[in-house]
Amino acid sequence: MKTAIKAALSAAILFGSAFSASAKTDITWWDFLAGGDGVRMKALIKEFNETHPDIQINATTLEWGTPFYTKVQTATAVGQQPDIMTYHLSRFPLAVPQGVLRPITDAELSEAGLSADDYFESSFDAAKVDDKLYGIPFDIHSIVLYYNKDALAKAGLLGDDGKPKGLEGLENFNAALAKLKESGSEIPLSLHTDEGGSMWRVFYTLLSQQGGKFMDGDEILPGDEGLKALKAMTNWVSSGYSPELISYEASIALFTSGRAAMHINGVWEVPTMKDLAASGDLGFEWGAVQIPVLMGKPATWADSHAFAIPNSEENPVSPEKVKAVLEIIAWLNDHSLAWAEAGHIPAYKPVAQSTEFKEMEPNATYSSLADTAVFDPQSPIAGVAGPIYEATQNFIVPALNGQLDPEEALEMVRDELKNANMN
Amino acid sequence: MGNMKTGNILLLTFTVIAACAWAFPLYWAIVTSIKPEADVVAGTTFLPETIDLSSYVWALLETNIVRWYINSIGTSVLITVVVIMISMMCGYALSQIVFPGRRALFLIVLASFMVPSQALVVSQFILMHKFGMVDSWAGIILPQVIIPVVVIVYKQFFDSVPRELREAAKLDGCSEFQILFKLYLPLNWGITAALSIITFIMSWNNFLWPFLVITSEEMMTITVGITQVGDAFGVKYARDMAIAVMAAMPVAIAYLIFQRRVTQAIMLSSGIKG
Amino acid sequence: MGWLPMRSKSKNNKTLTAILLIAPFIVCYLVVFAYPVYKMFAMSFTDAPLIGEGDWVGLENYVRMFQHKLFYTSVYNTLYFVGLTVVPNTLIGLGIAMMIVRLNGMVQAGILILFFMPYILPVTVVTQIWQWVLDQQFGVAQPLIEAVTGKRISVFRDPLWAMPMVALVTIWWTNGFNVLLFISALRNIPQDYYEAASLDGASRFQQFRRITWPLLWPVTALVLTLQLILQLKIFDQIYLMTQGGPFNSTYVLLQLVYREAFGRNQGGYASAVAVALFVLIVIVSVLQYQLLKARGKS
Repeated sequence: MKTAIKAALSAAILFGSAFSASAKTDITWWDFLAGGDGVRMKALIKEFNETHPDIQINATTLEWGTPFYTKVQTATAVGQQPDIMTYHLSRFPLAVPQGVLRPITDAELSEAGLSADDYFESSFDAAKVDDKLYGIPFDIHSIVLYYNKDALAKAGLLGDDGKPKGLEGLENFNAALAKLKESGSEIPLSLHTDEGGSMWRVFYTLLSQQGGKFMDGDEILPGDEGLKALKAMTNWVSSGYSPELISYEASIALFTSGRAAMHINGVWEVPTMKDLAASGDLGFEWGAVQIPVLMGKPATWADSHAFAIPNSEENPVSPEKVKAVLEIIAWLNDHSLAWAEAGHIPAYKPVAQSTEFKEMEPNATYSSLADTAVFDPQSPIAGVAGPIYEATQNFIVPALNGQLDPEEALEMVRDELKNANMN
Repeated sequence: MGNMKTGNILLLTFTVIAACAWAFPLYWAIVTSIKPEADVVAGTTFLPETIDLSSYVWALLETNIVRWYINSIGTSVLITVVVIMISMMCGYALSQIVFPGRRALFLIVLASFMVPSQALVVSQFILMHKFGMVDSWAGIILPQVIIPVVVIVYKQFFDSVPRELREAAKLDGCSEFQILFKLYLPLNWGITAALSIITFIMSWNNFLWPFLVITSEEMMTITVGITQVGDAFGVKYARDMAIAVMAAMPVAIAYLIFQRRVTQAIMLSSGIKG
Repeated sequence: MGWLPMRSKSKNNKTLTAILLIAPFIVCYLVVFAYPVYKMFAMSFTDAPLIGEGDWVGLENYVRMFQHKLFYTSVYNTLYFVGLTVVPNTLIGLGIAMMIVRLNGMVQAGILILFFMPYILPVTVVTQIWQWVLDQQFGVAQPLIEAVTGKRISVFRDPLWAMPMVALVTIWWTNGFNVLLFISALRNIPQDYYEAASLDGASRFQQFRRITWPLLWPVTALVLTLQLILQLKIFDQIYLMTQGGPFNSTYVLLQLVYREAFGRNQGGYASAVAVALFVLIVIVSVLQYQLLKARGKS
């Protein structure tokens, strides 16, 4: 009797698995994309599901930043990880030693019809650690300067081509801010001054424009470029050009309501501006340009959304799922023009170099930043939700808001990050 | 006498105002949830100008809230049933049966009041993983079935059942189980109801443990789920409030219906009778 | 001599029945309570990650903990939070209870519901509501804040405001519990005491000092103790509203346990911090109990 039951069970299992091989593959997808990004990614996923009956993506959006990465870590530890997830390239040096990411072999890559040549070299290299590929870049996203054309024109800062003029160089920039204030702009430059991530991007940009490095071997912030960058920013707040301790939505609202003449934020808010302008709710003409060269040479902070496969020793992902995942990635790459409408620059060269993309505005105006983009330092203390972001939140943000002396703040950053690997 | 009356009226007015101010955030949340999003950010009106239920429709159709309701109801009911059953049986034994180790057990249960359950979450998580129960109802339920105070309360109430009833039942040849379920329990429906309701509410409201042990959106309880919905485009305050209201509805209604029982349970669990 | 074996047989039966009755509770207790307590202590002496085994490292985790700046910050913040909540929450609860006992009938029931309702709500609902009320841009409380300080404040991002705001939300949320206990205690004070006192010409305030406060003391002590233990264990509100920021000003002990275990994958170290919290709670509770007992006697 027992043997009969066992035989029946095995037959059922075999039959079942043979059956399911021809049925669809369910792929669990985790991302942290919200706002305009979220809407566009959901549309892409929907389109994929509709055109691929054999692969169905079940997507979940979790909270951006530390909550997302903590959940990923825990899930991989217990074998409950998703099959595919979005992951910031800046975080790879931190994630790979933790064993959270599964390497993708050359064979798997070519089977999906992908190759390294299809991607911008800097992005693709950033996805590699020790010569192994741990993810596939999807976009390059950066920060830009959004500006109110009407407000700038009023202060005499608008060129004939509709682009800002007279903003190059820190002195000119500060003079321009003063002029904007005089000509009626309540807040010349809106910044998201209560959060570490946003302020890190501006700080790192100014640092890199001076040719400074955040890390040189073991040293953190060598030289005085860091101090100069921070002082430039604290000056904006203390002079009343930028708002003190303001939330993300509020910093955007200052710009969209017309009270702020300029706003530095990520490219992902481009859809917000586009939609508001389209529905007639904006009230002024807007534009977006690469961050002006304020302190030396052109440079802008950038990071990249990549797709990665979580790694779990307990519950490793099956080869069929890997195939399906890579197929999804390949498809998304081909369709990354739609993603570019969220303001990003595709990492996939065929799309980035296509005419459609080259004509897309405002992307075309600022896509030159890709040539001089600087990525986070390649270090385990860098990356979203990493120790550097935390240190920025804890020390640079208070310094910006006048709660901490800039020099002291940087010293504390150095102290904190020196111990980052120990504790 | 006239002074006292005005004094009383003043006090009454003050109390009413204070109570309204205290409860204002609740009112505000409900009002926000039934306004159209555009109205929410356009200007502050204390009464909605138009009533718009689209946030609730969105919650029901575009989020996993139905699934979360099911998870919450299922796990809370199961936890309540298990807690009441095992605590009642243990409380009865402590109360009515003399057995070796009785005093020790009582002291152990009392001592566990001091242990903060939050400090145990790491070990409990590891344990659930060993059992393969992470991201499952069993994983949510298991660590929540030990509520020492319920045992103590049952013991106290069983202690005060008149001895004669028990003697009579014993003479009739009833076993302890029969005495418990046919005599002691029916005599104590009141506190059973009270303890059940409060246990249900507490497990519905539990955040930390379900948050840790659940890794997928389908398994989330509603208390955890409402913090994970961050994917609406643009302003989403009405929707945030709508899902918050939906998460609070069941326990709020349970309280409104069973106020007396809830009050009783809270008093009992603090060691105060009456 | 036939009755001897029968007696031990019935005694055995009794024990067997008792075992059957207590077994479910005991089994669950051992598995999900006692074993985790043991594991917490045991793990704190290893360098284990969250999942998996580690090596014995003796007191290394504890040494590290006492050198870890964030640990001291967490302890300080936890105590700061306790200071902001325990006594105020108790006094506010008493005040509200005193207002409510003077009412009657439906009005009393209605007012009680308004004050008590927050306690019934899940913590996530509470934090969602208050984050909306305090939203820097559109929150209905901001005009009030602006009137007092001259500008709108992103309260959960401001190191000065963050912890007090978390305390405020916590008091709003948990006060109902204290109100209930005080109401029942106030009701237990015989009215004649007050009548006799007012006949003697005692003022309201004197009546409170001489009659109400001393007779309430046992419940007041109980509320203080329960509050103290409850607030030492804070995690949810902090995690949901500030994540320990800004500037680590709301970083509490359980937040550190969570981060070390689930964010940094350091199970052993996290267990050591959990043990520290456990010890802190036990010490503080015992101390407070003795203190209140002594005061009560005088």
